[in-house]
Amino acid sequence: MATEKKNKKDTSSKQNLEKFETETSKDIADRIYAISEGIVHQIENNHSPTFSTKVRGLSNVYFDDKAGYIQLGDKTVTRPFLNLGAARKFMQTMLVNDKCHEYLRHEKTASIREIYYELKHTVEHTKENTFDAQEESNDVIVDIEHSVNTIREKLGLHAEPRGSLYGDITLKDLKHNNDVFNCNSLGRGGWSIMSRIEPEEVEIVDVNADMVLVIETAAMYNRLIEEKYAAKSGAILVGTSGQAARGARRLIHRLHYEYNLPVIVFTDGDPYGWYIYSVIKSGSMALAAHSKYLAVPDAKYVGMTLTDVEDYKLQNVTEKMKEGDIKRAKEMLDYQWFKSKDWQAQLKIAIDKKIRIEQQALANKSLDFVAKKYLPEKIEAEKFLE
Amino acid sequence: MPTDDNRQEVKDEIKPKDDTKPSKDGIDANVLFTEFKEHSVADFFKKNRQMLGLYGKQRTLTTIIHELVTNSLDACEEAGILPDIDVKISELGEEYYEISVSDNGPGIPEDKIGSALGKLLAGTKFHRLIQTRGQQGIGVSGIILFSQITTGKPTKVISGTSSGKTVSLEISIDSKTNTPKISDKHYLEKKFRGLAVKAKFKDIQYKKGQASVDEYLRRTAISNPHTSIKFEDPMQQVTEYKRTVKVMPKMPTQVQPHPKGVTVDEMLSLARYSPARKVSSYLTTTFDRFGQTAVDSVAKIVHFDLEKDPKKLTWEEAEEIVHAIKQTKFIAPSTDNLVPIGEEFIEKSLRSIVNPEFCFVYTRKPSVYQGGYSFQIEVGLAYGGEAGRLVTVEPSFQRSKKGQQEDESPREVRVSEVVRYANKAPLLFDAGGCAITKTVSSIDWKRYGIQNFDNSPVTVFVNLISVHIPYTSAGKSAIADEEEIVSEIKLALQDVARRLGTYLIQKKREEEKKEKRKVFAKYAPEVVKALVHTTNADAKALQKNLDKMVLEKLRMEEEAEARGEKIEEDVVEDNGASENDE
Repeated sequence: MATEKKNKKDTSSKQNLEKFETETSKDIADRIYAISEGIVHQIENNHSPTFSTKVRGLSNVYFDDKAGYIQLGDKTVTRPFLNLGAARKFMQTMLVNDKCHEYLRHEKTASIREIYYELKHTVEHTKENTFDAQEESNDVIVDIEHSVNTIREKLGLHAEPRGSLYGDITLKDLKHNNDVFNCNSLGRGGWSIMSRIEPEEVEIVDVNADMVLVIETAAMYNRLIEEKYAAKSGAILVGTSGQAARGARRLIHRLHYEYNLPVIVFTDGDPYGWYIYSVIKSGSMALAAHSKYLAVPDAKYVGMTLTDVEDYKLQNVTEKMKEGDIKRAKEMLDYQWFKSKDWQAQLKIAIDKKIRIEQQALANKSLDFVAKKYLPEKIEAEKFLE
Repeated sequence: MPTDDNRQEVKDEIKPKDDTKPSKDGIDANVLFTEFKEHSVADFFKKNRQMLGLYGKQRTLTTIIHELVTNSLDACEEAGILPDIDVKISELGEEYYEISVSDNGPGIPEDKIGSALGKLLAGTKFHRLIQTRGQQGIGVSGIILFSQITTGKPTKVISGTSSGKTVSLEISIDSKTNTPKISDKHYLEKKFRGLAVKAKFKDIQYKKGQASVDEYLRRTAISNPHTSIKFEDPMQQVTEYKRTVKVMPKMPTQVQPHPKGVTVDEMLSLARYSPARKVSSYLTTTFDRFGQTAVDSVAKIVHFDLEKDPKKLTWEEAEEIVHAIKQTKFIAPSTDNLVPIGEEFIEKSLRSIVNPEFCFVYTRKPSVYQGGYSFQIEVGLAYGGEAGRLVTVEPSFQRSKKGQQEDESPREVRVSEVVRYANKAPLLFDAGGCAITKTVSSIDWKRYGIQNFDNSPVTVFVNLISVHIPYTSAGKSAIADEEEIVSEIKLALQDVARRLGTYLIQKKREEEKKEKRKVFAKYAPEVVKALVHTTNADAKALQKNLDKMVLEKLRMEEEAEARGEKIEEDVVEDNGASENDE
């Protein structure tokens, strides 16, 4: 399976990246400043101060059939300070907005947990905290991203990185001594995918592979490395350790669009795993605005499927499904990108039989079964769930 | 030695109107009288302690106080004197107390003391259809006898009238003959008007709590705003309730039963004792509002001659009359006999003694219940402040949301209380079986803004006024579920509850307004600081303008509210979708 051919960078999709590439920190800082300045003007003119951002709930996301991913609509929400339900959030927004402005001016970056701690304090003369939980500052960060129309990384913020990369791929870290490294030779764990993976920070120098295999569990990622699956099958392995983080999704997206590599997703056979696939393929509601830079509508799903249970005689290693999983499966029945006959059948089996099958269940056959038989067989025959 | 005459006297006093009392009252005076004939008074007394409310150590004490205080109140009111009553309990030993009650009433003339206090069941109010507190009148004599039975000691009495000398004496009752024995009589130098009774008792116990003397006196003070009560408990702690009004309550008068609601049984038994020679005159003389027009109307309906001797009335005929009465119009029962405390006075009293944050009272119009007895309901609803009953809550070890241990010291909280009265006399016992308690529980308090009634600072005051209180049992501590009474209590409570509800909503709005101002005020400095840090704007100017806007917004909301417009809804954002995919 392994090939020697070097993947050519496809420059035709470069325009995709243009906007993010050309905007400088100063541009973003100016936009943040403009928000604050606008509010100052409102107050100076005795107008009730308001902050506007895009609505990101179900009412403002839709599935774009043509593009093949979730898009954000145009609905905006205006949050007035002088409203009981909105006052606290308005205050929090001002704090985060100011802090991002400061980061950008001083060319600093912080994790979203760090900005939470940096801004958390007791509101003067009260016993109340500015933020009680990180979810509150996270929410506000997303509000500002959408208001400024950028991504958090451009705000000087980054999420906790999660996910690993392994395989014959050479990267250049432009933010760290221009290090050039091949992800085959970084040890057994591969490279830790950064939260920020934009071209001006990480350059993909060279790729020598036929596909990108996205793996849900760290255990399976390690199993495949130990079985030397990457080399044998010409695969770049991306371990997501659960739901794929932004960095991992952005990297998968770039590998697909810049190097035309097919993306194959391999997760546990349950609604949670399938949802991971769904997010990689079609985007998520929370990041609907950025689907264009994150979603890979061509991503294929290799397994686990409940059909595998029959095909590979795994009946005695299935698990019982939890109530939450069943609920999610029912919701997924209605997702437009799961409307295909095969997916509907798959979800219905899950709902009826209430069983799930883990990736590691394949070890029931033998440890190397997944690398020697399961994946090669299914990928060769293109037995994908579509 | 007992004489026939003596017994005959008792008989004459009791017998004639016995049968006017329906048997459901629990005390059938016929039985009482028969008992009298066959046993000595003391024996009767011992056998009927239960019935007289003299059972249970705490309850007995409360009953003793009740009898003495009621006696004082009635005496003062009959003489038109605003009562000042002093109650003192001293502990002499284990379950051994001395109780003294004194008043500023008319006193008892020296020669009448014996017969007034030393003769059991000699009271005049036993079988009158009149609104009285005691209604039954085992009275002070019963208390003297009880003291005598438990301690063997006589009761000390000091009496002073406005004209005569102040006399001090000791009185006991010859329980075989039911006659008073007076000893140690002497005159006092000191000028005194009123009656002071001091007696020792065993087999009773002083305790604090819901059925205590303290609570009895507190409630008596509430229902008798024209009275001052001073109480010294065995620990020598003095509680004083000052009168809140200086007007004497109207005296109740004796009345006849109203025809509507008379049962066949009553129709028949009243006829037996009527001196009238014709049924028609029996009807007009026995019943309230029964005029010639009504007699004519009844005569047209019944199938027998109303000229007939009432003593020969048959059950069927009595039934016909009762049926005919139902189809006949009568003027509503006369209400002169009912003396409500009055809304103004109840409110004054509740405000002074319960000291609530808010208080609503309502005196319903008189009504009549089964048996033809008129009655009237008065309610009061005191909320907040010191309303309700203070209870100590043991610490709970629940953790709060933030995982901190809750305060572990016992806390005092106020819970709801129902203060029940029959003709202004507090009912302290058998709350569960009482129509008042049951009706209070049947109210859907949530509808009136009280979410958790049991644990709210509420005092519910209910006074049932009637010439004949339908008690559930001889203990006279709970009111029976008479449909009309329950319905009146309910209507009255709903009325005050509605008013409380309106008040609570207003209060909540006020608090919300205050809360709003606080919310904006607390966040404004944070907002200003952040804006100034980004833009270098003038902090003072921003803060000043924001403050102004907050006030302006609240003012506009208030105006909109006054115009009845809907206030702008609080923003609920549709941004809930934050998934764990970042």
